[in-house]
Amino acid sequence: MQTAKRDIAVSMTGISKRFGPVRALENANLEIARGSILGLVGQNGAGKSTIIKVLAGIIKPDSGAITINGETVTSLTPASVEKLGVHFIHQDRLLVPTATVGEAVFLGHEIGLGPFVSRRAMDRRAADLLKRFFGMELPVGTLVKDLTTAQQKVVQITRALAQKASVLVLDEPTAALVKREVDSLFDVLRRLRDDGIAVVFISHYMQEIEKLCDRVTVMRNGADVGTVDPRQTSIDEIISMMIARDVGEMFPKREVTLGAPVLEVSNLRLGGSFENIGFDVRAGEIVGLTGLLGSGAKEIVQCLFGLKPADGGQVRVEGRELSLSTPVRAVRDGIAMLPEDRRAHGVALGLSVRENISLASLRRYSKSGLVSRGSENQAVDGLIKELSIKTPHRDALVRELSGGNQQKVAIAKWLSCQSRVYVLDEPTVAVDVGAKVEIYNLLNRLAGEGAAILLLSSDLLELVGVCDRVLVVYRGRLAGSFSGPAMNSDALLAASSGARSNTEGVAA
Amino acid sequence: MSASVLQTQVGVSDERQAAARSAGRRFGALVVRLGAIAAFAAIMAYFVIFAPGFTSTFNLINVVEQSAILGVLAYGMTAVIIGGGSDVTEGGIDLSIAANMGLCAAVYATLLSMGYGDFLSVLAAIAVGMAVGALNALAVVGLGILPLLATLAVLNVAAGMELTLTQNTVVGASSPLLGVLVSGSFLGVSALAWALIVFSAIMIVVVHGTSFGLRLYAVGGHPEAARAAGISVPFYVSFTYVLSGFCAAVASILTVSRLSASTPGSGELLLSVLAAALLGTVFSRRFVPTMGGTLLSVLFIGLLANGFQLLNVSSYWVNGVQGALILLVVAITSFARGSEGSR
Repeated sequence: MQTAKRDIAVSMTGISKRFGPVRALENANLEIARGSILGLVGQNGAGKSTIIKVLAGIIKPDSGAITINGETVTSLTPASVEKLGVHFIHQDRLLVPTATVGEAVFLGHEIGLGPFVSRRAMDRRAADLLKRFFGMELPVGTLVKDLTTAQQKVVQITRALAQKASVLVLDEPTAALVKREVDSLFDVLRRLRDDGIAVVFISHYMQEIEKLCDRVTVMRNGADVGTVDPRQTSIDEIISMMIARDVGEMFPKREVTLGAPVLEVSNLRLGGSFENIGFDVRAGEIVGLTGLLGSGAKEIVQCLFGLKPADGGQVRVEGRELSLSTPVRAVRDGIAMLPEDRRAHGVALGLSVRENISLASLRRYSKSGLVSRGSENQAVDGLIKELSIKTPHRDALVRELSGGNQQKVAIAKWLSCQSRVYVLDEPTVAVDVGAKVEIYNLLNRLAGEGAAILLLSSDLLELVGVCDRVLVVYRGRLAGSFSGPAMNSDALLAASSGARSNTEGVAA
Repeated sequence: MSASVLQTQVGVSDERQAAARSAGRRFGALVVRLGAIAAFAAIMAYFVIFAPGFTSTFNLINVVEQSAILGVLAYGMTAVIIGGGSDVTEGGIDLSIAANMGLCAAVYATLLSMGYGDFLSVLAAIAVGMAVGALNALAVVGLGILPLLATLAVLNVAAGMELTLTQNTVVGASSPLLGVLVSGSFLGVSALAWALIVFSAIMIVVVHGTSFGLRLYAVGGHPEAARAAGISVPFYVSFTYVLSGFCAAVASILTVSRLSASTPGSGELLLSVLAAALLGTVFSRRFVPTMGGTLLSVLFIGLLANGFQLLNVSSYWVNGVQGALILLVVAITSFARGSEGSR
């Protein structure tokens, strides 16, 4: 409210939105001023992307008011928002790869006479704009697919500018860029700000927010919890605004007795994703792994799964070196995996609970190649009871179960093989709270029985609550290893956004 | 500290690799394109030297006339591939186009033989062709069936209807319009050749000169990007299938005029149509189907068949050569595009 009225380009007040029982936005406010760069931060699920989608006309809010350039708008559509001068630079590069730069910039708003287009005019205008705004010179007729990622980002911004954007919203624009490209993108954004354009910058990288933004709006649990000046507020303060403190008894405690290292990873490397990754997980230990999208954390797990072959390094299970070339090998080598996309990889939706559970361990129930149904049923019923999988019958189709119960079936599948190493990729995504707690209990029990568990998660509270130790990956390297009192969500978030590192505990 | 240093190094080497990859790909694409054109030129040179009468004006005009039907069909196929994307498995393709032409020809010839005039008969043929196209559009856009399967099913529908209509017989036809198409000429160029020239000009202007064409390429090249630019992807994709049906109808009138009848077996043209539309991509810098490239391929295929004929090589070989060309072109273009998908 300190900013003068005329400077406000977009003002969203009291926006609420529910998806079924889930409260995505609750009385959220966002004010975007002309000639300034606003950072928008918050953890996953805080409501950042939902409020941006409301502004983009993609999601209809249940309540709330939106004013764009002083005019109150009631029903927004993607097309009407663009007409009002609000443009969005999406995370994916939405450009036609086989188009020339000129065609890509003016697609949908072609230059020409009547139905006819002038490719030369479009290429020339695009070249002019690129030169004027970004000092970038490309050969006329360059194809989009021959540009670098950063150049494509710039072309996307040019697209918005060519349509006289007055508000520019960038969603994680730096995720795929290298540092030098980030710097030149920032120069571009500062120049646009100085030209009076309102810029909204959504990023997980705290350093970038601090460096670039004039103001930062922090979101948490579907609402804005404050707008601060990043030059007067420390990153730590902003991070603590992002994190909710009300952690209940979601995370059951347990006694830890650590054994010998079971899973040992050293020097693991995958070109373009990560390098020099080394850590081990001991018997009875739950180790967390986290990192922002594109940091390489996910790729490390995919390597262990054998989904992506590593370029180098060793992985040992109980001293035996593994060749993680394919998922089949990984399973045979005793790694139980729980991929994130359980629908695609974790369970077979069209098969029954029984078939899913015994799939990975049919050999144990088989005599000379034939499955012994009796011992299979016995084992399956035992697991259904043990994990309290809510299913009408062991022969019910997995498709009919809830997400949490599907996840439990995926875990049961590995329990029945009695693996020594469990690698889990976001096991509690889209799982309700009750089932989450049951999954946590199960992890504790597995660890108690001496299994080594590696848990990839982006839910920092979950990591702090469940793990004995958490490894943080930042831009392809281990940026920190946290345990004991040092392991708190502030520290994890700071390390994953590059604001702070703690490399002492990291095995080189 | 050390992390940020490494970060920059990784960044620089990444960028260098990307630049090198992109340059390598561009060079590879250039080699492929020039290689293909050189191969075409070499084949033509061989015919010029060894095939008697290959370069005579009469022969060349004959080739253009023979190519008219293939050309009109290939334009329809090209439009479908442009709008549906040139992914070989999921992209746009209209396998029903030749069967559709057969059905339209049967409708046209049957109506003429029943005494309806040119106007009504042509109108009916075009309506049938576009209706079959609309059926394809419904299956592909409305029901979300893979074009490869949807149009394969429609192929059988169209072929079945043709057989029902003609009882697998030749239906003779004659009319004033057919008379003009057979023997008419203007400026020393025959009516069939004119048909190809005019149709080509219209297609090239519409697809390469208008914003409609530009958007059509966007729809095929990156549907998400097209949608984000406010373009209705379903409309454009549907349009290409209806256009393809229209092309089938136009080609059916040309084929009836050439044979003075509707004859069974038009489905055999499908291979040539596919070959022409796919082969056209090697003439494009962007490795996308273009109308100009399709025209060149149509003429090339026509000259190939003609040259074989003049050399007394069995025409059965032409089919084999066309099949091999399709394999080659698809393999080369997938290879040339290869690294895009993994980026």
